[in-house]
Amino acid sequence: MNDPQAVLRQKHASALNLTMSVAILAPRGRDAEVARQLLDKENIACVMAPSLEILTNYVHSQIGAVLVAEEALIGTEIEALQQSLQVQPSWSDVPFIVLANGAASSRSAGAKKRMDALRNAVLLSRPLHAEELIRAIRSALTARARQYEARERMEKLEIREQQLYESEAKFHAIADSVDQMIWSTLPDGFHDYYNHRWYEFTGVPNGSTDGEAWNGMFHPEDQELAWGKWHHSLATGEPYEIEYRLRHRSGDYRWVLGRAQPVRNPAGEIIRWYGSCTDIHKIKVAEEQRQLMLAEMNHRVKNTLAMVHAIVSQTLRQADNLKDAQISIQSRIGMMAQAHDRLIQSTWTETKIDEVVEAALVPHRSGQGHFKVEGSDLPIGSKQALALTMALHELATNAAKYGALSIETGKIHIYWDIINKDEDAIFEFNWVESEGPKVEQPTRRGFGSRMIEQALAGYFNGSAELSYKPEGLSFVLKSASKGLTD
Amino acid sequence: MAIEDKSKPAVLIVEDEPLIRMEAVDMITDAGFKTYEAASADKAIAMMELHDDIGILFTDIDMPGTMDGLKLAAYVRNRWPPVAIIIASGVVELERTSLPEGSSFFPKPYATSQITKTLHDIAVRLH
Repeated sequence: MNDPQAVLRQKHASALNLTMSVAILAPRGRDAEVARQLLDKENIACVMAPSLEILTNYVHSQIGAVLVAEEALIGTEIEALQQSLQVQPSWSDVPFIVLANGAASSRSAGAKKRMDALRNAVLLSRPLHAEELIRAIRSALTARARQYEARERMEKLEIREQQLYESEAKFHAIADSVDQMIWSTLPDGFHDYYNHRWYEFTGVPNGSTDGEAWNGMFHPEDQELAWGKWHHSLATGEPYEIEYRLRHRSGDYRWVLGRAQPVRNPAGEIIRWYGSCTDIHKIKVAEEQRQLMLAEMNHRVKNTLAMVHAIVSQTLRQADNLKDAQISIQSRIGMMAQAHDRLIQSTWTETKIDEVVEAALVPHRSGQGHFKVEGSDLPIGSKQALALTMALHELATNAAKYGALSIETGKIHIYWDIINKDEDAIFEFNWVESEGPKVEQPTRRGFGSRMIEQALAGYFNGSAELSYKPEGLSFVLKSASKGLTD
Repeated sequence: MAIEDKSKPAVLIVEDEPLIRMEAVDMITDAGFKTYEAASADKAIAMMELHDDIGILFTDIDMPGTMDGLKLAAYVRNRWPPVAIIIASGVVELERTSLPEGSSFFPKPYATSQITKTLHDIAVRLH
């Protein structure tokens, strides 16, 4: 640091903490030099302003205080100084200490006006009194320091305000863009905020559900539960969670999941509750349907097992030996399984009788034109379809063993119709064998014939009759036509 | 075939599924009991009114019509208190308390041996 210019720059730079410095302008006599020495001795930083123009620059740069001789406040440059004093920020008022020319009473109107334009000025009379000067300057710098503090505080406040604004803008952007309805309450549960989604969903006017009016938006059956749970949460601070039905703007109630959490201050006291409602209607309805479907499936499986149980018991009861029983059980259960396949294809609700008959005969068709089938496509219930399939299986199995299907020339005529097409319409189904071997009355009634005459008739809520005529076995089922589907 | 025993009470079988009813009738007949059958609760009550030898009601729960097996059981218990009640059902969740006191319950499908043992126990008790 031998370079004197560099030393000067350094000194200048350190003196550049202008906010704590005094700018001195006293062009005449030794006032400036005396003041500088006094300030130096008190360790108060100062800068010399050789002209009003430079002083104005210091004022611009937020100088700590100004010491100026009254006679320096003349000329055209004074306007620039006045201008820069006027445009000071709201917190700033640069203090001036003016070294006066004589008594205040002798001051001209113009000189008074110039003094007023300085805004924040004290007068010191000359000759300079050291203690007066130092006290005046110190008090000016102290006041100025307070201004800087005020500036800092204001700036912090501005930043916080800006942050708050941004954070609020962010909150609204998030709260209004999510799919959920969001709401908030005071610690006592008074609702004072809902996001747009709430109003969009419910269709009610803004603000109309503030306070406690929200409860009326829920299904009358859910209101008591919601009220109870909410008050429990308010009393205990426990999170709120409930599934209830919220009135949609369409007038329908939709299932929503309601949840809320308290927000606490550092002392642990609840300051707000924030809550949401999520539309879970589709999930809820799907779940209900799944439960119904499961219950229905379970019921049908149990029923099917009970029927298999009955078929197995019946077969064993009638069988001469285990080998025959095994064959019969397998073919009967196989037939049931096939019938179920078809019933599932037609959604288990309504199927057509011609499809049932055709499918039941398929395993017994051997391509020799034994069968003649005539009838319309009447709807038939699932229970009746299953029973008819099983009955046809028993008839065909019997015919293959002893009847028309046991020889090549044998014929079976199957036909059905609705007769008396009025109020007491009758459904009639016929199975007539011919050109087969001579038929003889069986010595005992097997499962097949009992299945047909008792069980089948029961499913149709009608009557069934097997006739063992010598020219061929025949069977007729008669029931009220509603027995087909009831 | 079993020989009907006059000292045993007759059994009324109530079941809407004809095939299962047929099997239940055979099973109980084989056990030596006289049987009556009905496809609904209404028909069962008519049967009870007609035949005073019925000492045991053997009923399904899930049946079409205004009265299911549970309501039928309650009705029979109330109107014919001495009649023993056996309930068999595929119903999954059943409240024990919904059954009349002293009645027996069996899930469907049931084992023949269980039913016949219960019938015989009741017959001994009623005798």
